[in-house]
Amino acid sequence: MNMRWLTWLLLWLPMSSLLAAELRLQLTDTNGAPIPEVAVALVPASGVERPPAQTAIIDQVNKEFVPYLSVVQAGALVRFPNSDNIRHHVYSFSETNKFELKLYSGEPSHPVPFAREGIVVLGCNIHDRMIAYVLVVDSPYFTVLQNQTEARLQAPAGAYQLLIWHPGMNAPMQESVQLSDTPKVLSRQISGTP
Amino acid sequence: MRWIAVIIGLMLASVGQGNETSLYQRLGGEKGVKSIAERLIDFSSQDPETQRSFDKVDLIKLKQSLATQLCELSDGPCRYQGDDMRRVHRGLGISEREFYAMVEHLRKILDDMAIDARSKNQLLAKLAPMKKDVVE
Repeated sequence: MNMRWLTWLLLWLPMSSLLAAELRLQLTDTNGAPIPEVAVALVPASGVERPPAQTAIIDQVNKEFVPYLSVVQAGALVRFPNSDNIRHHVYSFSETNKFELKLYSGEPSHPVPFAREGIVVLGCNIHDRMIAYVLVVDSPYFTVLQNQTEARLQAPAGAYQLLIWHPGMNAPMQESVQLSDTPKVLSRQISGTP
Repeated sequence: MRWIAVIIGLMLASVGQGNETSLYQRLGGEKGVKSIAERLIDFSSQDPETQRSFDKVDLIKLKQSLATQLCELSDGPCRYQGDDMRRVHRGLGISEREFYAMVEHLRKILDDMAIDARSKNQLLAKLAPMKKDVVE
């Protein structure tokens, strides 16, 4: 066994055991129908160490943001690759993460740090109907459901705040959950997008 | 009566100084330039020949931006601080045909507003060098 394999093994063994717990969340609107876009996150108690944030991507395609709804870990960088290859002018007026980013055809842009937790709304100064939402959470354990009714999140066993949010809600719905070795099954209904 | 004579005298003197009115004034000043910008964007975003590159664009902001540029270009009291024309248009793939269709819109608008031929040509001449930055 060469050194690289050994390194992999040493990295993977603790990781896989850390992610032993699972949340299985059944999530629909109040009529039992799937929600078009909804974010789900498990936020560990403060003081629990998190893996470093992964860089996220929000693209510009046919004068739309893709994806429309993202979850990113606080401290993550977000890249805006601009597949449209025309000028865009991305902005956020959101208190938690204010920024402006000019994108030009043929000019790469710098990634933007999303430092603080909260809800961020993105727009474009050139194309006024472009809109995207980003839920910034202090956690790497999250997913976005698109017309699906089950979220499965793996995380180390422990205590978490469960956050559920879609762009029609003022603030995320929050509750405490405890994850242990056996999968935790929850069922929740929230009012759909307006 | 003597005062009136003095005032008339002063007015004549100021006209006589030969300080030609600026292009900006001959285009109708702030109101005129704003109207040119609004009509040009309205025409161009509706004409099938030119509407393509205006799809989903915030037309209100574009009109304001164009008005500021026309104001500056005609020696009015404005300063355009937006992006340069090359960066603004890069990637849109605007053809010569589309460019000249928009020039035609502008001609019609200036005629409709009864702008004199000399002023019209002056404005078009100031816009003409932008072609190399707009057309790909």
